[in-house]
Amino acid sequence: MIRGESGAFAELYQKYRARLHQYALSLIRSQVEAEDVVHDVFVGLAKQASGGRMPRELSAYLYVSVRNRCVDRMRRKPELPLDDVDLDLIVAPPGDDERIELRRLLNHALLTLPAEQAEVVVLRTWHDLEFAVIAGMQGTSVNTALSRYQYGLSKLRKELGAHGR
Amino acid sequence: MDDDRIERLLKGYRLPDVARDLDQRVLREGAAIMARARDRATVEDVGRSLLQGLGFGYLAWLFDFVTTTDAEYRVEFI
Repeated sequence: MIRGESGAFAELYQKYRARLHQYALSLIRSQVEAEDVVHDVFVGLAKQASGGRMPRELSAYLYVSVRNRCVDRMRRKPELPLDDVDLDLIVAPPGDDERIELRRLLNHALLTLPAEQAEVVVLRTWHDLEFAVIAGMQGTSVNTALSRYQYGLSKLRKELGAHGR
Repeated sequence: MDDDRIERLLKGYRLPDVARDLDQRVLREGAAIMARARDRATVEDVGRSLLQGLGFGYLAWLFDFVTTTDAEYRVEFI
């Protein structure tokens, strides 16, 4: 992509856009801000690549860029109460009655998890990142990342159980 | 419900759709940045050829030597 291959840029964008958008949503919990973060990350990547400085670890670069920008924005804005947050982290596949029925409940449960647990659950479940990579992003140990994942799953399970599931 | 069951249940969900407006914004701006880079590279090539033709090829080599940067990129955690 170095020095002007816009087709390669579009391919990269198509490959990562949905994942990075969901990741940003899960962190910053605002549709508008998540879109701005994804936009800024890809425009930043295009500028770097056009100057001949393509990141060596592209996936890590993109995830960390999203995280850093979200953290930066969250420092500057007050946290919204959950009732004011209306966004979807997950979408049920058409025709899957069980998932369609549970989507709202699980979505709300994901949003009520502590931020660091929700982050591990999202990155592990839908992005297939290794615990070592997630731990590196969170600046913690692999064991802590694993515990956060297990606590997160446990809370989701309890939430489903509380609703007779 | 055990951990395996909830993991399978969660993995069956799709990621939310990305707004078309965001796609258009990113691709348009990315393409513009790439086009500028291509133009810059073309101008550099012409300049380099001109210097070669005039017998000052060493100046182009010297310019590249001074301005080439290491492509390595460092990821910073904040």
